[in-house]
Amino acid sequence: MSQTEIQSRKGASIRGTLSGQSLGLILGILPLVSFMGVFFFWPLWSVLWNSFQDNLGAFTLSNFQLALAEPYKTAFSNSISLGLISAITSAIPGAAIAYVIESRGGQRLRQFVASISGVLSTTGGVPLAFMFIAAYGAEGSATAVLRAFGIDIYSGNFTLYSLAGVIFVYSYFMVPTMVIVFSPAVHGIRREWHEAATNLGATNAQFWRRIGFPLLFPSFISSLLLLFAAAFSAYATARAMTSGSVALVPLMIGNLVDGNVINDQMNLGKALAMGMVFVSLVAMIPYLLIQRRASRWQ
Amino acid sequence: MFARLKALPLAFVLLISGVYVLLPIGSAAEFSLRQPATQDHGFKNYLWIFEQPEFAHYVGVSFALAAVASIILLALLVPTVVWLNLKGQKLRPFVDFITLMPLVIPVVALAIGAQNSLPEFAQTNQFILSFLYAVLAMPYAYRTLDTGLKAIPLKTISEAARGLGANWTVTIFRVISPVIRGTVLSALFMSLALSFGEFTITSLLHWDTFTTWVTVISQQNVMGAIALSVFSLAAIFIFLLLVGLLVKPATSQVTKEEE
Amino acid sequence: MSNSSLELKNVTRKFKDMVALDALNLEVGAGELVALLGPSGCGKTTALRIVAGLDRADEGQVILKGKDINALPAHKRNMGMVFQAYSLFPNMTAAENVAFGLQMRRVSKNKRRDKANELLELVGLPTHAHRFTHQLSGGQQQRVALARALAIQPEVLLLDEPLSALDAKVRTNLREEIRRLQLSLGTTTIFVTHDQEEAMAVSDRVAVMNKGHIEQIDSPDVLYNSPATDFVAGFVGSMNRLRATKTGSSLFVIGRTVGASKGGPNVEGEVVALVRHESVRVKPDATSDILIVTRSFLGPVSRITCKLPDGDLVHSMMSSAESSSLRPGDPVKIELLDKELLFQRAE
Repeated sequence: MSQTEIQSRKGASIRGTLSGQSLGLILGILPLVSFMGVFFFWPLWSVLWNSFQDNLGAFTLSNFQLALAEPYKTAFSNSISLGLISAITSAIPGAAIAYVIESRGGQRLRQFVASISGVLSTTGGVPLAFMFIAAYGAEGSATAVLRAFGIDIYSGNFTLYSLAGVIFVYSYFMVPTMVIVFSPAVHGIRREWHEAATNLGATNAQFWRRIGFPLLFPSFISSLLLLFAAAFSAYATARAMTSGSVALVPLMIGNLVDGNVINDQMNLGKALAMGMVFVSLVAMIPYLLIQRRASRWQ
Repeated sequence: MFARLKALPLAFVLLISGVYVLLPIGSAAEFSLRQPATQDHGFKNYLWIFEQPEFAHYVGVSFALAAVASIILLALLVPTVVWLNLKGQKLRPFVDFITLMPLVIPVVALAIGAQNSLPEFAQTNQFILSFLYAVLAMPYAYRTLDTGLKAIPLKTISEAARGLGANWTVTIFRVISPVIRGTVLSALFMSLALSFGEFTITSLLHWDTFTTWVTVISQQNVMGAIALSVFSLAAIFIFLLLVGLLVKPATSQVTKEEE
Repeated sequence: MSNSSLELKNVTRKFKDMVALDALNLEVGAGELVALLGPSGCGKTTALRIVAGLDRADEGQVILKGKDINALPAHKRNMGMVFQAYSLFPNMTAAENVAFGLQMRRVSKNKRRDKANELLELVGLPTHAHRFTHQLSGGQQQRVALARALAIQPEVLLLDEPLSALDAKVRTNLREEIRRLQLSLGTTTIFVTHDQEEAMAVSDRVAVMNKGHIEQIDSPDVLYNSPATDFVAGFVGSMNRLRATKTGSSLFVIGRTVGASKGGPNVEGEVVALVRHESVRVKPDATSDILIVTRSFLGPVSRITCKLPDGDLVHSMMSSAESSSLRPGDPVKIELLDKELLFQRAE
């Protein structure tokens, strides 16, 4: 689309909002938007509102002061690390699997991998945690099988009930999630581009550096964001695995909500939750920047 | 020779992924069959689960909540997505954005918000969970429906039907619904599975369902909890794989046209 | 040809269950444009890909200016290729696409930019340098792809059905432009197509391919007027296939006797005669039992379809002026301009 076309489109949509036709368009999405308003945006707004109030309802920043001090500071840092490490360690193998399956696999294999990944990506929660505890615990037969092949996961100081353990368990549904969200991007890399580049004198590496990676990068980053958000905010698996031994923000919020931990300031949990929302929104910034750049050619 | 070299990375990836996926499942299954008292394998742990009166109760509760969540979700999304594909292209970026947000915003924040803002009558009715499950499954269901419907030339089909004299009711029920059935079913089953397994909101709002029950029994009987976990994962696996197999023919017929 | 620029010798390529190229031999002279013409699956694209190095021959040699380049990897061959469609890099502008090959050759930034602008001007897109692929029409994309292939001053320009995804009108314009550019730059070119009209219109020579080998390679005129085989005769131009009886060196067809061409199969009796549409002339004749079915006006010429008493159809291509009085249902007589007809075994 040319520059002028884009501008004229913008113009049309601005003018269009005033016309009756556009009112009709908005009516079409009104049910969905109201539903999200009531059950998603309104609750979040209330958290934001209350997080700035003290116990008597007066404005205060003290909830946030508390939320940024220990032990919550460490919890935030742990949660962010968990999100980042989980996302990266799952995204890379996931992207590699997507690439190999899409480029080397036949139609049937691709479909098979897609449906298996779809199923695996919906796992998680407490059952998955228990499954890993049974399989990779000290008594588990998966541990024994790996040991028989010379891989002793307990030779260092690894334990399932730690951050590393949580990352390991998360990867079980995050790698398949990556495969699902990244495969379409790999599929979109046309054979003609590689062949044209080769013809023009590019080596394999030059093709990937100049064409392949730039084209895949936006999808990779958006997938990474998705994985980060999932790992950063995951609650069920982490709770079942660590039973509180690792400080993570969602677990601390849970403790406050459940009354396991009592704090004088009743809105502390809301400030912590807002802190999480803030981190998630900040995580979207690189994604939005890259999308904007990519939109030039998309 | 050349072909074999090309297949090598594929074989490697399939082998590693196969082991990675199957080893914990197989090993947990084996573990769940252990009977420590008698030092042998058997179905004692599974029998124990099924003997618990809560088992059937919580399966029923979770299923009812998931079913209501899925109905709410589809009732909202199917007309909206059809509408977006037919007329509302301009509004698409906006709808894309709001349906994506539940994926980005931490669930814990929504749980606190729900507890904080929803009126008393909603808080005391367990079916409030269905509405929140619907919010959480929204990003997945919306994208499944949207991708599925984009592949269908809905506009052409509906214009053809209208051109042949069908009114809107006939067009929607006799023409559009049969073509989108496969896509709608996959969205339905995905939201069923997601809602059935939801834990965070359920537990933070202090309701009891199948998933929270697993944590409760793990305190009385670890082997039972593991057997129950293996059982529920296996059940969902088999359910989704079967659905995948059954639903596929309808959707692939449509996507072929596009290729 | 002694000054041949590119030569394929006994090139054979087998896929799992089929032979794509069966000991193919082809010589292309310097500055020549040769079209590879044939139905899909005849091996024409495989031959092109082997020249480009994107596919390997199982047997045989590819010789460029006297040197065997079989072992040379594709990215060192310096062959410009234009694909059917969608081959432009979507993350680059038109100018960046054109400059890509030069960048790979470490040409300086300024020279690259000048060269890219020069080539974009050459293909008629001087103002589109900063557009991305999705901002260009299909025809414009192919022009950029052509500029990109020419930018590296290729040894051989390889065109793989470059026009088949375009509209008829764009297709005709662009094919003439390709020919004009090719002649002015003197680039040795192989043009793969399944469209006989396209092949005839742009090439110095056309190689008609069938089942992995070349049936005939000749200039368009020779190919059209003296097809060497049944296959070529059937593929090039439009032929009537009429029931005929052969006796010795003569054919009996539509109630008259004409000569049988010498190259045909050695059979007697029932055969099929091949008659070009433009060799058939029809004239009004009230006593005839041959009737006009349709007349399609095509501009300077018209196509007239007649029905023989036995129900077979005969097509004729005549000047529109000469046939203007003919109407469907009119009785006509048929004349054949050829003294000798090609023929095939009866089906």
